[in-house]
Amino acid sequence: MTKLLELKNISHSSKGSIRVKDINLTINQGEKIALIGKSGSGKSTLISIANGSLIPNEGDVIWKGSHINNISNIESSKIGTIWQDLYLIKELNVAQNINCGVLGKHNFIWALKNLLGVLDKGLCQECLEAVSLPKKTIYSYINKLSGGQKKRIAIARLLRQEPEILLGDEPFSNLDPLLSKNILNLFINQKNYLRIKIPETILISLHQINLIDNFNRVIGLKDGEIVIDREIHNINQSEIDWLF
Amino acid sequence: MKSIKPVSTLLTLIPSIAYIPILIEIIKGFHIGGLNIIFLFISSAIKPSFNQEVVKSALEGLQITIATALTSWVISMLIGILLGVLSTDLFWKGIPKFSCLGKFIKYSLAIPRSIHEVVWGLLFIQILGLNNWVAIISIVIPYSALTARVIAEQLDSFDIQPLIAIKQTGSNFMSSFITILLPKLIPILSTYGIYRFECAIRGVTLLGIFGLGGIGTELYLTLKSFEFNEMWTCLWMLWLVIILLEKFIRFLRSYLSTNISLKNSFLISISIFSLSLSLGISWLYNLNFEMFTPLSFSYLNLPSFVEIRNGFNTLPLFKLIITTILITFFASGIAIGTPPLLLVLFPGKLPLKVQNLVWIFFRLIPPPLTTILILLFTNPNISVAALSLGITHMGVMGRLLTDNILNQEKSIYRALKSNGSSKKSAILYGILAPQSNSYLAYGAYRSDVILKETALIGAVGGVGLGWQLQESLSSFDWAQVIIITATFSLLTMSGEFLFSTSQNYWLENSTNNFTS
Amino acid sequence: MIIKLKKKKMHQSSRKVEFTKITIALVSIFNLSNIGSLKAEEILRIGAIPDQNPEHLNRLYKVLSSELSEQLNVQVRYKPVTNYSAAVTAFRTGNLDLVWFGALTGVQARLQSKGSKVIAQRDIDEKFHSVFIANKKSSIQKINNINDLKTLKGKRFTFGSESSTSGRLMPQYFLNKAGVQLKDFKGASPGFSGSHDATLILVQSGSYEVGALSEEVWKRNLERGRVDPSKVFVIWKTPSYHNYHWLAQGNLDKKFKKGFTKELTNVFLSFNERSKKQKQILELFSAKKFKISKNENYNKIEKVGREIGKIK
Repeated sequence: MTKLLELKNISHSSKGSIRVKDINLTINQGEKIALIGKSGSGKSTLISIANGSLIPNEGDVIWKGSHINNISNIESSKIGTIWQDLYLIKELNVAQNINCGVLGKHNFIWALKNLLGVLDKGLCQECLEAVSLPKKTIYSYINKLSGGQKKRIAIARLLRQEPEILLGDEPFSNLDPLLSKNILNLFINQKNYLRIKIPETILISLHQINLIDNFNRVIGLKDGEIVIDREIHNINQSEIDWLF
Repeated sequence: MKSIKPVSTLLTLIPSIAYIPILIEIIKGFHIGGLNIIFLFISSAIKPSFNQEVVKSALEGLQITIATALTSWVISMLIGILLGVLSTDLFWKGIPKFSCLGKFIKYSLAIPRSIHEVVWGLLFIQILGLNNWVAIISIVIPYSALTARVIAEQLDSFDIQPLIAIKQTGSNFMSSFITILLPKLIPILSTYGIYRFECAIRGVTLLGIFGLGGIGTELYLTLKSFEFNEMWTCLWMLWLVIILLEKFIRFLRSYLSTNISLKNSFLISISIFSLSLSLGISWLYNLNFEMFTPLSFSYLNLPSFVEIRNGFNTLPLFKLIITTILITFFASGIAIGTPPLLLVLFPGKLPLKVQNLVWIFFRLIPPPLTTILILLFTNPNISVAALSLGITHMGVMGRLLTDNILNQEKSIYRALKSNGSSKKSAILYGILAPQSNSYLAYGAYRSDVILKETALIGAVGGVGLGWQLQESLSSFDWAQVIIITATFSLLTMSGEFLFSTSQNYWLENSTNNFTS
Repeated sequence: MIIKLKKKKMHQSSRKVEFTKITIALVSIFNLSNIGSLKAEEILRIGAIPDQNPEHLNRLYKVLSSELSEQLNVQVRYKPVTNYSAAVTAFRTGNLDLVWFGALTGVQARLQSKGSKVIAQRDIDEKFHSVFIANKKSSIQKINNINDLKTLKGKRFTFGSESSTSGRLMPQYFLNKAGVQLKDFKGASPGFSGSHDATLILVQSGSYEVGALSEEVWKRNLERGRVDPSKVFVIWKTPSYHNYHWLAQGNLDKKFKKGFTKELTNVFLSFNERSKKQKQILELFSAKKFKISKNENYNKIEKVGREIGKIK
């Protein structure tokens, strides 16, 4: 089992309160991990630290053996995140936002060209299909879409990126249960969707406890500390209740 | 495939193409003749004159300028608020019989708004002579109209449901009007009022350059007589005062914006106005302003219809209009395009801070002075005018952009970077893109101002309607003066319409709002 | 909490009252103390077109004001302006009583102010000349015949102020006579430096290849060592014409006393080098004495002015 991402002795506080404490976590290739915990238990902080965008007060994050802040852009593009706040760009249309996923794989001139119109139309449309949005959505502007649609665009952007690991911060909030189930199924069980390669390793934070059964490892956070870290068949219901 | 439709982000960068024709023209007319003067000018920057006489007259000039600006600002704000309220649709809902009066006021205010304060100054000098009140009047007329417009627009954009609801309770119209709208008015006033004050200082300085006294006159005289050391003394002092004033205003603003009750903010506004007015007037008095000498009206022979027709024939109006439009086009191009371009070319926090300083610097240089300098090493043409205007206004745009970015959330930028994109791409998408719609909206507004300012540049730069105005004024050809002023006014009014339409278009889709 | 709010409110409203009081006080003080200063009638306000550097003008008119004040027994105040037409406007609107004008501006002012009269000129103003100067680096040669002005076509040319007689009007008149139009210069238009001193600096530095300015100012700068002969030289001297003069408002006798205008004229005519102050004034004016002048002397200038379009 190749070690992809390691979080060693991570602690972080901001604005006076402790967000996460003494986190030690190793993510191996191929694992499908569910991250659960109450609101405010530190899930978003953990994910931000894991993808390198937030530098923790203490501890190190290691990606494939190197410190995460020292890796190249190419390696960074192998880490994909679905953010809770989405971070879509209102001033651009859907296709251009989806293409943001691959900014790391192209040069600046491509980035400028992307602003001119629609690049890689076919690939963008495939990503939209994967999240059950009609193809013609690629021309719409973000501010005309509903919350649920925006969420799906963010997911489509990640699919476009084709990272090795997918970190998701509540990617299914705002989506109806059937859709959530379908997309989760896509992540967990499929290797490809048309031309898009689905990430092998995933870590997703969830509120919908009923979906945990699809994963093979569960991590539970309580007050910023990892209190559960086991394979799915070792967990019982009472422990999960205790978390919340 | 859908046609190419560049997104606003690109549109912020594309205008810098205007550099190409500008630089080509300037290089074509370039000659090294005046370079030693330019060199002298630049080297004098670090050795300004500390001669007692010079510093004394600079200080006096500064006082006149600021006191005049303060006084004209207060008067124009008060009149502007009154006219603004009178020109809203809202106000006249209570007196529907006279609502056409409201519309009349609203539309006729377009005329004083369309003429730049310097042009008003040049015209009023002819009627009132070199009286110091000319400066104040020249500022009050356009500024009240501008303020009135902003206030009317803001008031009309508010949801009137609460107003209707209150009316249902039986209160009379005036009290409900004041109750609902006053609280909304105060924050607008504070933002816009501060901006207008800074404009007033700039306006009075420009009026001074055209002869109406104050620091502007000192700057002009010292520059024209090539006494660069003295000129730099005046310029450094002016900048120092402006920067200090800005800091003071910001401090005042942050102090006041911690949630104060309506009553207190109202009282504070009243006291600021009355204090400023009394301060301004007493200050001017101490400076021997000759305030109470009665204005002498000199009656000019109004030109006859025949003379006006002759005037039309002798003026190359079409060429002048085209020249003016081209100058505006190119100047706006570089003013809008340069700051984003620099942002993308030189990414990073430190370069951003450096750029911020550069913009502050550019912003404070009066365009006519830049024109005089550039003319030392190239021939008068459209590019010179465009460059001079462009430099000052790119300072304004750039300053606003960098300020907003420094205060902006970097989340999208960080998100993109963590997904592997390069610094430049992340800046393009994560920092510039979210700003682009409001930046373009502000750019539309700036272009409107630039169009009006072509009048000043023309006067020193030998091109456009402004130059012809100066020529006609010095020949005392009233027919021509009237024709040119009217043409210019029509041009700026059409421009205003065009630019505010685009401004609204961009504002609709923007993430944040530039404080204009 | 309520008590605090009440206190604050009282504080605020008492502040407001304070401000209102101060404002009223200030305004009334200034209104009252102003009564004494409405005596503009007794001041003779003099002005001049800014054809040279401000320091020169300030020095000259300071001495002149004090001398006139002594001799005429009235307060004399000099009011500087930033450009030529401002002087004309100030005269027309009555802001100035006595102005030192060039021929063109003098005619403009006289036509716009009924009753104003020309009272005096310098000895050098009867037969005034302009000089054309060129930068040594340009390939311009000395001109012997007026028609050779054609060689200036295609060169970078500057005038002084657009309302200047010796720096624009007459040079343009002679250029037109030689068949040279303003659009024949490089850049399709000439420059306008604004003053004679500025023209000298610009041509000397090479910003412009050739320029026209007043002979008087050229000579004075030569004497003061401000001319670098290795850089600039005279290529032509124009035929002569009438130029500068004192123009007085028609109402001076009414404003001050009967016969004031005549007295004023005589004071100028009596300037000589025996008095120290008067010697200084004459030197700064580059003249040996003042002579009488009359309106008719400028008829030719008026004609040229109308031709060129500077007088309507």
